[in-house]
Amino acid sequence: MSDQSMAAILEGRTSQPQQLIEALHDVQQLSGYIPQEAMTTLSQELGVPLIEVYRVASFYKAFSLTPRGRHVMTVCMGTACHVRGAARVAEQASAQLGVEPGGTTSDGQFTLECVNCLGACALGPVVVLDGVYHDQVTPRKLGRMIESVRRAESEDRLHV
Amino acid sequence: MEQYVTLTMDGARARVPRGTSVLDAAMEYGICIPHLCHIPYLSDMGACRLCIVEHIENGRAKVTTSCTLRVQEGMVIRTNTEKIRKLRRNIAELLVAEAPNSRAVQDIAVRCGVKEVRYPFRNNDCVLCGRCVRVCTEMWGARAIGFVGRGKERHVDFPFGVRPDFCKQCSSCVDLCPMTITPCDGPMKPGEERLCGKCESQLQVTEQIPDTCVWCDLGMGFNCARQA
Repeated sequence: MSDQSMAAILEGRTSQPQQLIEALHDVQQLSGYIPQEAMTTLSQELGVPLIEVYRVASFYKAFSLTPRGRHVMTVCMGTACHVRGAARVAEQASAQLGVEPGGTTSDGQFTLECVNCLGACALGPVVVLDGVYHDQVTPRKLGRMIESVRRAESEDRLHV
Repeated sequence: MEQYVTLTMDGARARVPRGTSVLDAAMEYGICIPHLCHIPYLSDMGACRLCIVEHIENGRAKVTTSCTLRVQEGMVIRTNTEKIRKLRRNIAELLVAEAPNSRAVQDIAVRCGVKEVRYPFRNNDCVLCGRCVRVCTEMWGARAIGFVGRGKERHVDFPFGVRPDFCKQCSSCVDLCPMTITPCDGPMKPGEERLCGKCESQLQVTEQIPDTCVWCDLGMGFNCARQA
């Protein structure tokens, strides 16, 4: 994370401890996770003790302390999704991506997450890929989803 | 001038300065409310839940921690009802299951009347009472340690898990930790955790005069407020 983007995030927030969560959100959005250096800078600039910054960042699920993949896949494991086969969907995702839930692929492409409920029980099993909800997902559908993301990325690389 | 309020605790009328906590008021009047996370010179956070009391409001009994409850005029408090004893016993049981290797926790369980532990021993060596965190933050202003994580991952740690330079290793956190005194027989081996219950002789004193502070030794391990 560059000094400039950090300065932009801190713009108008210096010495305002109440801005901590907002600033953390901005860092998360920009870098995809909260790096240690960012937490140290925030602590100094906002006037919040470092342990408080760390405590808040480690408490909320919205903040990740480890680098995340470019694509985030969230599999719902709630009761409604579970009875419709979310476990098989999650298994397919782990197997195809080669990571355990909560992990990130070594090429930094995917982060796989399992959550307890997404609140869309009527659509189960639900998978959220980069903020887009996919309903009634089967292992096969999921496989195609992952393939299409991979294909799109490799095409991008060719064009660039 | 200090303002006083009058409240009723276990049927006894007490007059204490405004702003005192119910726990402090009870201690002042010689009523024993078992407690673990409370330290007289630090703020209270109601973490251990042992000091629960019944607060009677409009004919309804509300169970709440007495350390975070401030006295009010005409308040009615019951510290030792059957319901409270049952709840407290259960909380103490959970604490022992969480950290059996502490004399302080073992003693408080005996004091609360725990006879057996029905929960699996988890041996976490920490009950998240927050005494260390509060002394570091409030007394020394160092803020070198704090709570990290959430839910079952919550634990006390340094920022990023590394001891920062501004921690002067004063060991106040260690001094106040209820885990620093191991049970009389020494630390328990994994798989052999049990309720120690050696201090039951002490318990008889407390049972003969219920809800009265009898200056038992069960609070030694964690510096019970009456000994401070």
